[in-house]
Amino acid sequence: MTILKTSLRNFLAHKGRMALSAVAVLLSVAFVSGTLVFTDTMNTTFDKIFAVTASDVTVGPKDAPAGESKPETGKPDSLPASVLERVGAVHGVASAEGGVSSQSVTVVDGHDKNVGAASGAPTIAGNWTSTDARSMKVTSGHRPTRSGQVMVDADTAKKHHLAIGDTLRTITAGGDFSARISGIATFKVTNPGAAIVTFDTRSAQRELLGSTDRFTSINVTAAKGVSDAALKRDVAKALAGSGTYKIQTQKEAADANKKDIGSFLDVIKYAMLGFAGIAFLVGIFLIVNTFSMLVAQRTREIGLMRALGSSRKQINRSVLTEAVLLGVVGSVAGVAAGVGLAVVLMKVMGAAGMDLSTQDLTVTWRTPVVGLVLGIVVTVVAAWIPARRGGRISPMAALRDAGTPADGRAGRVRGAIGLVLTLVGGLALYASTQADGAGAASPFLGLGIVATLIGFVVIGPLLAGVVVRLLSAVVLRVFGPVGRMAERNALRNPRRTGATGAALMIGLALVACLSVVGSSMVASATDQLDRSVGADFIVQSDTGQPIVPQAQAALEKAPYLDHVTRYKSMDATVIAPGGTVKKHAPLVAADPSYASDLRRDTKQGSLDAAYGKNAMSVGEKYAKAAHVKAGDTLTVAFAGGRTAHLRVAAVTSDDGVIDSGVMYTNITTARRYVPADRMPGNMIMFAAAKDGKEKQAYTALKHSLKPYPQYTVRDQTDYKKTLRDQIGQLLNLVYGLLALAIVVAVLGVVNTLALSVVERTREIGLMRAIGLSRRQLRRMIRLESVVIALFGAAVGLGLGMGWGTAAQKLLALEGLDVLSIPWPTIAGVFVASAFVGLLAALFPAFRAGRMNVLNAIATE
Amino acid sequence: MATAVSTPRRGGTGGRTAVAARARGVVKAYGAGETRVVALDHVDVDIARGQFTAIMGPSGSGKSTLMHCLAGLDTVTSGEIHLDDTEITRLKDKRLTQLRRDRIGFIFQAFNLLPTLNAIENITLPMDIAGRKPDEAWLRRVVETVGLADRLKHRPTQLSGGQQQRVAVARALAARPEIIFGDEPTGNLDSRAGAEVLGFLRTSVDELGQTIVMVTHDPVAASYADRVLYLADGRIVDEMFRPTAESVLDRMKHFEARGRTS
Repeated sequence: MTILKTSLRNFLAHKGRMALSAVAVLLSVAFVSGTLVFTDTMNTTFDKIFAVTASDVTVGPKDAPAGESKPETGKPDSLPASVLERVGAVHGVASAEGGVSSQSVTVVDGHDKNVGAASGAPTIAGNWTSTDARSMKVTSGHRPTRSGQVMVDADTAKKHHLAIGDTLRTITAGGDFSARISGIATFKVTNPGAAIVTFDTRSAQRELLGSTDRFTSINVTAAKGVSDAALKRDVAKALAGSGTYKIQTQKEAADANKKDIGSFLDVIKYAMLGFAGIAFLVGIFLIVNTFSMLVAQRTREIGLMRALGSSRKQINRSVLTEAVLLGVVGSVAGVAAGVGLAVVLMKVMGAAGMDLSTQDLTVTWRTPVVGLVLGIVVTVVAAWIPARRGGRISPMAALRDAGTPADGRAGRVRGAIGLVLTLVGGLALYASTQADGAGAASPFLGLGIVATLIGFVVIGPLLAGVVVRLLSAVVLRVFGPVGRMAERNALRNPRRTGATGAALMIGLALVACLSVVGSSMVASATDQLDRSVGADFIVQSDTGQPIVPQAQAALEKAPYLDHVTRYKSMDATVIAPGGTVKKHAPLVAADPSYASDLRRDTKQGSLDAAYGKNAMSVGEKYAKAAHVKAGDTLTVAFAGGRTAHLRVAAVTSDDGVIDSGVMYTNITTARRYVPADRMPGNMIMFAAAKDGKEKQAYTALKHSLKPYPQYTVRDQTDYKKTLRDQIGQLLNLVYGLLALAIVVAVLGVVNTLALSVVERTREIGLMRAIGLSRRQLRRMIRLESVVIALFGAAVGLGLGMGWGTAAQKLLALEGLDVLSIPWPTIAGVFVASAFVGLLAALFPAFRAGRMNVLNAIATE
Repeated sequence: MATAVSTPRRGGTGGRTAVAARARGVVKAYGAGETRVVALDHVDVDIARGQFTAIMGPSGSGKSTLMHCLAGLDTVTSGEIHLDDTEITRLKDKRLTQLRRDRIGFIFQAFNLLPTLNAIENITLPMDIAGRKPDEAWLRRVVETVGLADRLKHRPTQLSGGQQQRVAVARALAARPEIIFGDEPTGNLDSRAGAEVLGFLRTSVDELGQTIVMVTHDPVAASYADRVLYLADGRIVDEMFRPTAESVLDRMKHFEARGRTS
């Protein structure tokens, strides 16, 4: 009990220091619990919407994937209308209704502006059914009753300033059609962002499915007292023998839908957990450092307690009790902050077009439990080493002169262990660059990263000695004696400086590594574009939808063009003569001009020949694995088509990220085996301008695509820019991580400096007495802080660049063949670290400046 | 006797006053009302240039406070203190700091040196802070005088207590301050090391013409001074010229006896 009391007193006595560590725990826990709250809320939202948008039993075509289906043919799979009658006759069916729904559409307003969500949420076009009536309410106008009328959801109407009477054009693979808005419907539950347009059933069938005799689903409502499962069974029985259908109860449909958006949610979840991870990692250092300092500061007191008869265990336990207190305080605040973070995240998603309502905010019991357990366990584990060190303090410490703790010399054993680890890590990194095949190399890379990181942390104190001296020689000498004293102060406790710098090191190492990889990605892709892409223009949809025939026709009609190349991803199973079966082979059907649009090296044969009749090419890796060589004949079973026997006319080199490992064949060849309505749309198209007419052609292409805002034409320069922007977005996430790591690291630096200032009270007093001005004193502390921050930055950036380079070498085989180190970013981060140091020193320096000289001298 | 004011004389060098520091009506009080404690009660004192002055008195007599006020480390409640011609009681912190840096030297009882700097760096620290180049010849002489020539690269932790105090003395002398203040500079030393340090202080007065004010409660230390001021209850109660250890001890016994009887 007394231990708890002393712990509590000590805890309260060091409120400031504890608060800083608590913030580290808080941040980590906040990210974890924020992730949980956010995903739970998303789940609630989607549960609600899927619960109302799925009917009791749904009958759909067998092959139709659930939810976000964007079939490459551009037309949804459907079933014959006759099924509706047969289902309607089943006993236990209260009502059955034919539904039409397609996500392979783009809806534009009168100014050719896409009204679909920018967030990646789908645009769904269909007919108005009683299922829709359950989730939406017509709030103005009326639902569409005849051809030429359309109803749009209120969120979309509001976002794009649509009113009744406005014309909307719907673009489908079957053609464009326009309709006037007859009504606006409002969601009864939260709609996370999909744009919904509905037509009368006949129009929807005709325009979206190409036949008034088909539906995409039959929505069945059960009669009173009939369970969904029983109904499903009966419907299945009634439909047996008339083709295969997918029959789902409401729960099954909702689950399938949820699974579909799961992958999207996962991205957010893992990003958030990444933040939590880095916060924890850096936070651990802060906690270790805090408790080390607390123990060091109390050496005399602990010695006295030992002299008076406290056992090691008791000392140990008292420190750990403080850690538990810290963990509890930090975690409780963290869980609360996590809820706030989730709300902020929801707002951010809202700004990006994904509407989530705070009414759906879901905090399950799991959130506080996970947050608290994680926060407390991590804090206690981090405090373990300092606690043990505290327990080892001898009773003699009570008798020794207090003063400042003696210069902590980095232990030799520690240095040796750290060096060995670093060496092992370095070798592993080197090995990863030498191995062939990313699969074999990545364990080495992982080992290398972990070993060098731990190694650097362990030899941190030694590194601090070397790096701080080096930095001082360059940076601090300018500041004369004040700079020299700052250097000496940073060096006097290398272990502390090392641990403080390490917190910054980890964050910056991560950033440096990822920015090297990102920058290499851009450089490699740009390099490959320059080397291999012969096409002047690239056309593709921003959402991955195939290019509809009418857009293709518009492109082909554009003037100043030498040629236009179509490019279709085929779904096929390829069987080699040796029997190797490759399902979903990366088979592309293109026009022969593609051979000049994308230049590829061939290992055997010629690429042009691959576009000949019943010919194809394969990638070298596949050729090796399946023992295929030029001249062999492969059996190619096209999905939705017939089986072909195609001759291998070329084996292409697998270098480069673009189309790596892809098999090519001529569109004409593919047509022979795949019926027209099963032919996939163009995933991407290429065009080349007539010589000297590049500018005119670009303008013409842009003009011809104006009615189709979902597609973008880019010349090589713009394409490279888009590539850079995409990777830039990825890097923004990295910079978010950096910001978080820096916040925690700054807390660490503040903590260390604040303690140093307290410890050096007498020294500061002495210096002030013999004439050091306040300003010089503050500058001295700021410089110490800067040099610690720069130490962390230098080591972290160096380490990260090493990792990044190893990763690039490893990925060179996968096409990341150009190493590009983003020096401006690295230099910028390094310089910014100096400012981080300045920032961290603000408070400690202010406090030191305010110290009363006499009190400082008088302190025992 | 509430004052220790000597008749102002003109010194022989450079026309500077023979009084290095002068205090007039200095009051230092802490707190207010019921809890008001007066540490210095209208003290007048002149510190003669080129002399070694010791301030003695029992604990709580105000001797350290007086030194702190004279040295510009502490502010006074009322009264004036002049260092040469400068009235330091009106100076702001910034000017006071400069004054301490450029015109005053300090030797404290303990913790005189920065542990991160070696001996010579500690000695030149005030000049380094000021951005002044030390006078090499003078520095050598000071270092030789205190016998530290072979220890200049040592860190304080590698020096004995006596050596550390000698470094402190050297630091105080090196910048040629107008006045050196010592706060029990030998309080932590054994008698032999203490005698050594005091010997250096005496030498610096005799040979280098240094002005030194030292607070002590050790009669032996006081006997090295030219003049001893006695403080009690914030007032100067006596002074003695050319003291010996015995005479100082006698005088103290006298005060203590009086203190007990009164």
